[in-house]
Amino acid sequence: MAVVSKANIVREDLLRVEGVTKIFDGAVKAVDNVSLTVASGEIFALLGGSGCGKSTLLRMLAGFETPTKGRIFLAGEDITDLPPYKRPINMMFQSYALFPHLNVWDNIAFGLRRDGLPNDQIAEQVEKMLGLVQLAKYAKRKPHQLSGGQQQRVALARSLAKRPKLLLLDEPLAALDKKLRETTQLELANIIEEVGVTCVLVTHDQEEAMTMASRIAVMSEGHFLQVGAPDEVYEMPNSRQVADFIGNVNIFDGVIDEDKADHVTVRSADCLHYVGHGISGHSGMNVGVALRPEKILLTKDQPASAYNWCEGEVTEIVYFGAHTTYHLKLASGKVIKAQALNNTRDLSYGLTWGDTAYAYWNERAMVVLTQ
Amino acid sequence: MNQTLSPKTIKWFSLGWMVAVYAFLYMPIVTLVIFSFNDSPLVTVWSHASFRWYKALMQDSDLISAVWLSLKIAFFSAIISVLFGTFTAFALNRYKRFNGRTLLSSMASMPLVMPDVIVGLSLLLMLVSLQHWLGYPDRGLFTILLGHALLGTAYATVVVTSRLREMDNKLDEAAMDLGCQPFQVFRLVTLPLLIPALVSAFLLTFTLSFDDVVLSSFLSGPGYSTMPMMIFSRARLGLNPTINAVATVTIIVVTIAVIASSFYTSYLERKRKREVAQAYSDSNN
Repeated sequence: MAVVSKANIVREDLLRVEGVTKIFDGAVKAVDNVSLTVASGEIFALLGGSGCGKSTLLRMLAGFETPTKGRIFLAGEDITDLPPYKRPINMMFQSYALFPHLNVWDNIAFGLRRDGLPNDQIAEQVEKMLGLVQLAKYAKRKPHQLSGGQQQRVALARSLAKRPKLLLLDEPLAALDKKLRETTQLELANIIEEVGVTCVLVTHDQEEAMTMASRIAVMSEGHFLQVGAPDEVYEMPNSRQVADFIGNVNIFDGVIDEDKADHVTVRSADCLHYVGHGISGHSGMNVGVALRPEKILLTKDQPASAYNWCEGEVTEIVYFGAHTTYHLKLASGKVIKAQALNNTRDLSYGLTWGDTAYAYWNERAMVVLTQ
Repeated sequence: MNQTLSPKTIKWFSLGWMVAVYAFLYMPIVTLVIFSFNDSPLVTVWSHASFRWYKALMQDSDLISAVWLSLKIAFFSAIISVLFGTFTAFALNRYKRFNGRTLLSSMASMPLVMPDVIVGLSLLLMLVSLQHWLGYPDRGLFTILLGHALLGTAYATVVVTSRLREMDNKLDEAAMDLGCQPFQVFRLVTLPLLIPALVSAFLLTFTLSFDDVVLSSFLSGPGYSTMPMMIFSRARLGLNPTINAVATVTIIVVTIAVIASSFYTSYLERKRKREVAQAYSDSNN
C-alpha cells in the first residue's frame, strides 16, 4: 500500500554511497562496506533493528560522522569531507530538535538566515513552508506550546525550508502515538511528494518503511541484507533474516525432492511442498520454505491434494478485530500461524481450542529460501 | 493500652516543631536586625529604638569602602568565574575525547572539596614567590579577585555542566545541519539556552565571593579589607552596633533579590504550564 507513486520515469542518481565503512573506537564496525544509489525524487528507507547501523549511515550522510572508509557523492560531487553546515542536505530529527527559545516562524527561518538571504525572501519562503504544513496561525508560538503532531510538522517545515537536495528523516514518526502516526504518515508522504525532494528515511518500523518508501534496504549488523521495493522485500525475501524481520512468517525446514524448471517440491517434516516456480538450487539441498500467515487457509476437512497442506491442533486463537491468528501445532511439534480475515461477524472457521484443523495454501504462496 | 496520638496532637506537635526549626534558623538574624535599631552602644542591652548606628555607618568611611571593595571583587570575580566555568564545562561536555579529560574534570572540581585555608595558603605562597622573582603582583584587590575567581570557577563549572548535560545535543546538530558554523551554534543556540544557568552561576559565585573571609585574609594586602574581613576584625575588638546596621542593610538587599527572583520564576513556570495546557486543548479541537 505504498502511497508514493512509483512512476518508472528514468531518473538520474542523486546520492551515491560507495563502500562506506564506519568503525567506532577502532573495534566496533557500525557500518560495513555499504554501497547504494538513490535516484532523484526517490524515498529510500533504511530499515533495521536497533544497532544495525542505520542511524550511523544516516549521520554520515548528514555529516555528523566521517566514514572510516568509502566515499559519499551527492549529485556527482564528493561530499565525504564536507562539514554538515556546508552540505545541501537537511535532516528531520527523531526528537525534532526544535529550538525551544525560538518561535515557529524563527525556527523555520533559522536555516534561511544562515544563508544570508534578504528578509523579504526569507519571509516569503517561511510563509510558504507554514502553508505547506498548515501551521500559519501558529507562527508566533514557541515549540512547547504545540502538540506533538504540530511539532513534527514544524520540524518538517524547518528541514524543507532551505530546499535541500536531500532530506534525511530519522525515525520521523517514532515520537507520535499510534493513531496520530497513521494520519501523519500519509500527510508526511504527501508533503514530501508535493515538494519532490529526494529522501532517505531511517526506521525500525516495517509498516512505516513500507507505506512511505519507494525502496527499502533491510539492514543488519552494518550491511544490507536486501534492497528492493516494499512488495519485493515482503513477497520475495532473499534470506531467513529478511523474511523474519519483515512481517510474520512460518518457515518449514526441508530438503529439495524434485527440482524442475517450472516447479520444485520440498519435503519437510510435516508436509510436502509443491512450489509453482523454478529456483536456483539442486535436489537434496537443504532449504527453508517461507509462508506468510495470511496466505494460509484453514479447514476442518482433510484436503484431497497430495501437496501443500498439513494437519495440526489449534492451540491458540488470537483475536485482533480485523483478523484472527490461529496457532496450529503440527505433528512434529512445530507451531505455525495462520491468519484469517474476519470478513463476517462470526469467526470464519468455527474452530476452537483443541480442534484438529487442516492448513492449506496455494502453490504460489511460498518462497524457497536457499540462504 | 491505647497509645495512638490523636490527629490534633500530631498537628500541634508538627506545627510546634516547624516553629522551633524556623526559630533556630532565623532568630539570630531577627535579633541582629532588631538590635541594629538599638540606641545603646552595648550590643546585647536594649535601650530604645533609633537610627543612631545607621547614621554612624554613613560616616564610617572605612566600612563603606570595605563594602564597595567587596561588591567590586564579587562582581568581577563572578564574571571571570562564569566565563571560565562555561569554557571548562564546554570542554568537558561537548568534546568527549581529548587527552587529559579525566584530569581536567577532577581538577576543575578540586577547589570545591579543598579546604579554603589550604587553597588560600598555597595561593599566598605562590604569590609571595612570584612577587619575589618578578616583583609582581602586589597583594591587594587583584590577588583577592584571583583567589575568588579560582574558587568561583569551580562552582560555575558545576552549575553550567549540569545544565549542559540536560540540554539536547541534537539541538547543536540541528543548528549545524541548518548551516551554522561551530561558533554560530554557540552564539545562536547554546548561549541563549544557557542564560538561566549563567545567571544562577553568577549569583552563586557573587555570594561566595561577597561573604568569603578565609581566602581574602590570605590574599589581601595593606589597605584592602573586604566587608567580611572588616566585620571579623572588628568583632574581635568587641562588637560595635554599626556592624548590625551594615548586616541589616545586606540582609534587606539579599531578601528583596531572593523574593523577586522566586516570584519571577514561579510566574514563568505558571505561564509555561498555561501555554502547554492551551496547546493540548487546541490540538484536540
